[in-house]
Amino acid sequence: MPTFGSFSLLLALALSGYTLLAGAVALRQLATGARARVTPEKLAETARRAGIGSFVATTAAAFALVWAAFNNDFSVAYILHHSNRALPGPYKFAALWSGQEGSLLLWAWLLAAYGFVLRLRHKVDVKLTAYASTILAGIQVFFLLLLNFAAMPFSLVGGTVPQDGFGLNPLLQYPEMVIHPPMLYLGYVGFAVPFAFALGALMMRYPGEKWIHITRRWTMVTWLFLTCGIFLGAHWAYSVLGWGGYWGWDPVENASLMPWLTGTAFLHSVMMQEKRGMMKTWNVWLIFSTFMLAIFGTLLTRSGLVSSVHAFAQSSIGSWFWAFLIIVLSVCLFTFILQRDHLKADNKLESLVSRESSFLFNNLVLLAACFTVLWGTLFPVLSEYVQGNRVTVGAPFYNRVAVPIGLFLLFLTGIGPLLAWRSSSFKSIRKNFVLPCIAGLVAAVVVIVCGVHPWEIFTTDGQGSFYAFFAFVLAAMVVTAISAEFLRGAGVISRHTGQGLLASMVQLTRRNTRRYGGYIVHFGVVVIFIGIAGSAFNQSKEQELGFKESLNIGPYRLECQSYSQDSNANYDTEFALLDVYRGGKKITQLAPEKRFYIASQQPSTMVANHSTLAWDLYVIYAGKNPDTGQPIIKVFLNPLVAWIWIGVAIIVFGTGVALFPNMTAALAASRNRVQSAAVADALPARGGD
Amino acid sequence: MTIVACSLMLIGILIYVFYPERHVESQTQKTRLEYLRERKEVLYDNLRDLNFEYRAGKYVEEDYAAQQGILETEAAEVVAEIDLLEAQPR
Repeated sequence: MPTFGSFSLLLALALSGYTLLAGAVALRQLATGARARVTPEKLAETARRAGIGSFVATTAAAFALVWAAFNNDFSVAYILHHSNRALPGPYKFAALWSGQEGSLLLWAWLLAAYGFVLRLRHKVDVKLTAYASTILAGIQVFFLLLLNFAAMPFSLVGGTVPQDGFGLNPLLQYPEMVIHPPMLYLGYVGFAVPFAFALGALMMRYPGEKWIHITRRWTMVTWLFLTCGIFLGAHWAYSVLGWGGYWGWDPVENASLMPWLTGTAFLHSVMMQEKRGMMKTWNVWLIFSTFMLAIFGTLLTRSGLVSSVHAFAQSSIGSWFWAFLIIVLSVCLFTFILQRDHLKADNKLESLVSRESSFLFNNLVLLAACFTVLWGTLFPVLSEYVQGNRVTVGAPFYNRVAVPIGLFLLFLTGIGPLLAWRSSSFKSIRKNFVLPCIAGLVAAVVVIVCGVHPWEIFTTDGQGSFYAFFAFVLAAMVVTAISAEFLRGAGVISRHTGQGLLASMVQLTRRNTRRYGGYIVHFGVVVIFIGIAGSAFNQSKEQELGFKESLNIGPYRLECQSYSQDSNANYDTEFALLDVYRGGKKITQLAPEKRFYIASQQPSTMVANHSTLAWDLYVIYAGKNPDTGQPIIKVFLNPLVAWIWIGVAIIVFGTGVALFPNMTAALAASRNRVQSAAVADALPARGGD
Repeated sequence: MTIVACSLMLIGILIYVFYPERHVESQTQKTRLEYLRERKEVLYDNLRDLNFEYRAGKYVEEDYAAQQGILETEAAEVVAEIDLLEAQPR
C-alpha cells in the first residue's frame, strides 16, 4: 500500500502539471489565435480530463493512507506516529488529518474534489471554467509538490518496524475532531474556487458579472463549511481543553477566523457588484485576500511561526508556503495591474444613507476586525524581530477591540436591510426604524430590570455588563427588523393570494431564497451574539470534594457520590461521580474525568457538562490532592452558551435555504411577457433582494 | 499486486485523458449582446425588488418614484441597444 500511495501521488502531480501546462497553452492559443497541430479546444479537453484524473489519483493516495491506518501498517512512519492498535476505528480514520503529511494530503484531496466537480460542470461557461480549472491546477501542483518532496505521507520507517504505534494525540480523541478539521479544510480549500474564477474572469476580461452568479453557490457552501469548522473547533475547545471557554484567541483559531471575516465581507459586497456594477476592484481583492489568508492560516498551523495549542502539526515547510504566497500575490498583482481598466465601476455611491453604504461599512468593519486579528496574531513574531523578545498578545487585547467591532456589525446587520438601494430619504428611514427602535427601548428596560447595568462600567470594572447590555438591546432591534421584513413581505403575498401569513412567509422565502435565507443567517448571528454576551456573567469555583461533600454554585449543588479509577487498552482514567441538585431535587449525575493515554503517554481532560438554555454547568476533574487522595473539582457556570450552538444550527439552516433555487417557474412565464422595462411594474412580486 | 494496481490506474487514466473525442465544447468569448441580455435581467430583477418593497410599505412614494425612474431609464437604454444589435445582420 505505501508504494501504491506514493505512486498515486506522483501520478496526481504529473496529471495536475499537465492540466496546468496544457490548459495554459490552450488558453494562450485561443487568446492569440495561434495555429497548432492540435486544436486548442481539444488540448483544453485533455487538460480538463487530466484534472479529473488527478482527482482519481489523489483519492487513491488518501485511500492508501486510511487503509494503512486501519491495517496497523506501522512500516509507514506517519501511521506509526499517529495511530496505535487500540485506537478506535473513527479515530484511525481521523489519523488522516491528525499530522502534517496527512492533513496536507487531505488539503490536496479536497482541492482535487472541488476541481473534479468544477470540471464536470464545465458547460456552465466553458471558457471561464477552463481558466478556473487551470488556476486550480496550479494550486494543486503546489500541494502535490509538497506531498511528493517535502512532507511525504508514505515515508517508511527505517530498521525494525515496531509492533505498535505511538498513538493519536489525546486532544484529538474526541468526536468533533473527526469532523472539525475536514470542515475547516473544506472551507479553506473551497475559497480556492471563487478565487480561481475571480482571477480567471480578470485574466480573460470576462464581460459582466455573471461569474459572480456562477460562483455564488461555491462561495456560500465554502463559507458554510468554514463557519461550521470554526464553531466545531470552538465546541471542541470548550469540551476538551477544559478551561471553561470556547474561544481563546489562539493563533490557529485566529487563522481560521481571518479568511472567514474577509469571506463574509465578500459575500456581502458581491451583491453590490451584481446589482449595481460597483466595487469590482474591492471584490476582486477581497477574494484574493481571502484565499491568501486561507493559505496563510495553513502556514501558521504548519510552520510553528506562532505558539499554539495546535502544536501537533508543526514543521519546517513554512518556506514552501511563503514561496507559494509570494507567487500567488505576484500573479494577482500582475493580473490586476494589467487588467485594472476592466474593473471600472458602472455606478458610484450616491448617498451615505443607502444599502450600498451599509454594505460598505459592513465591509470596512469586517476588514478592521480581520486586521485586528492579524495584528494580534503576528505581534509576538514582529516584537521578537524588533525587540528581541516575544511579547504575547492575550484575550484582553482582542476583546477590547473585537467586542465593539462585533457590536457595530450587529447594528449594521439590523439597519442594512431597512435602507433603500441608492439613497434613503429621512421619511423612509423614520418609517422603517420606528419598530426596531421601540423594540430596542423595551429590551433595554427589561435587561436593566433583570440586573444588567451598563453604568457599572463607570463604577466598577463592569465592561462585560456594558457590552452585554448593548448586545441584548441590539439583538432585540435586529430581530425586530428581520421579523418586520418577513411580515411585510408575507403581507404582500397574503393580499395577492389570500393565503395565511405563515404560508405566505414560506412562499416569500421560496420566491427569493437568497434574501430570506440571508435573513435567517442574520437571525442565527443574533442568537450567537446573545450567547457570547452571556460570557460577561460567567462564574467559577474550585474545591476538593470528598465522599458526600458538596459544592454550591448559582442555583446548583453538586454532591460527590464516589471517585475512582479505571483503565482499558487505550487509556487509564480517574473520575468522580457527582449528583447535581437544583432546588433540593436531583436533576442529573455528572462524571468529569482525567484520562492518561497509554500509547502517547499524555493526559487529557474529559469535561462533564449539563447544558440548558439558561446556562451550562461545566465540571472539570482538575486532579487529586496527593495528601488526601480526594478529587479536586472545578466548576464553571456559563450563561447562555447553548445559544451559540443553536445560532450555528440556524445559520446552517439559513445558508441551506439561501442555496436552494428560487421558485422561478411562474417568474419565467411572466418574463416571456415582458416587452420593456416599463412593464416590469406589472410583474408578480418576487420578494426583493 | 501493487504493480498491477498501479499499472491499471495509470493505463485507465491515460486512456481517459487522451482518448480521441469527436465533439469538444467550443470556447467562445461572450458577446456584447449576451452581456446586455444579462444586464437586462439584472435591471428587471432590481425593478421587481423595488416594486415589491414599495408594495410592502418599505418606501415612501417620492423615494419609489425616483428609484423607478432611474432603473427604467437604465433598462430602456439597455433594451434599445439590444434591439439595435439584434437588428444588425450577422
